[in-house]
Amino acid sequence: MLSPKRTKYRKKQRGKRDGVARRGNKISFGDFGLIALEPKWITNRQIEAARVAMTRKIKRGGKVWIRIFPDMPFTKKPAETRQGKGKGNPEGWVAVVKTGAVMFEMAGVSNELAKEAMALASSKLPIKTKFVVRRDLE
Amino acid sequence: MDQKTLTGYERKELKKGPSRRLRREGKIPAIIYGHKTPKTIAVDQKEFRQKFKNSSASTILTLMVGKKKYEVLVKGLQEDLLRDSITHIDFFELERGKVLRTKVPVHVEGAAKGVREGGLLEQRIHELEIECLPKDIPEFIAVNIDDLVIGEAIHVGDLDISPKVKVLNIPEQTVISITNIKEEVLEEPAEEEELLEEEETEEAPGEE
Repeated sequence: MLSPKRTKYRKKQRGKRDGVARRGNKISFGDFGLIALEPKWITNRQIEAARVAMTRKIKRGGKVWIRIFPDMPFTKKPAETRQGKGKGNPEGWVAVVKTGAVMFEMAGVSNELAKEAMALASSKLPIKTKFVVRRDLE
Repeated sequence: MDQKTLTGYERKELKKGPSRRLRREGKIPAIIYGHKTPKTIAVDQKEFRQKFKNSSASTILTLMVGKKKYEVLVKGLQEDLLRDSITHIDFFELERGKVLRTKVPVHVEGAAKGVREGGLLEQRIHELEIECLPKDIPEFIAVNIDDLVIGEAIHVGDLDISPKVKVLNIPEQTVISITNIKEEVLEEPAEEEELLEEEETEEAPGEE
């Protein structure tokens, strides 16, 4: 599962996810991509589930790039705790995904297969997505 | 190389608001620059997509703005993947007899031996940066991969390019390679929890 090797601070402020992705919004490595149509925190488990679904579909062939990384720790307060007494404990890692971010890329497979594989990956994610193709392949 | 003609409309109102209005009307804000004073124009989205479909940054376009004729290359293209639209185009005006820099697409031809043996074809570079005279611009650079086996690669220096064209990429840069496909590794123990636990133990003494 993806997670940072070491971090400077244990907890982070939540921040905002307004607007559209100004970086990581182009297909840079592969021929096909999956872009986010909504902003959301994507957990490392969801990224892994999407990757597994995708690579199983394309079997031995093609290459997959994961363009998002879960570098944001999220915290949770224990169950049945009163409010206050500080921020909760770190529970896991998420990637902050903005609208328009290219989350996954793929190459070395046909358009149809890539589309099917990306659809499977999309079903593992908590957001609406769109399959995109590099311009010169259209 | 075949030439394509495109109609452009002069654009007087600049900045965000008028540009957005143009996009809503199905036009793309654009600019022509090069050797003369830059000129702001707009082109029809539908017409541009139709004409530019099978062309690249190395295709010479004839742009008609009013009665004036410009010979241009598409230097930059800003697109919005979300809306599947082009938001802005940079046209570079050519001057006959003057050397220019542009990008040319790399086309893969043939079926590699290595792929038939189960290897994975990886194209690392999709475009090459070149320097030449406008009349010598190739439409694309073809790379034949018939004899390529697993573990082999074609570098920029290996490409068969006309001597009139100067390639600006580093000769050692890999264009195409055939690699072994890695087997899918199944679930490893969750390392991320270890990190989280570790951090908990390192808690600062003053912290509550």
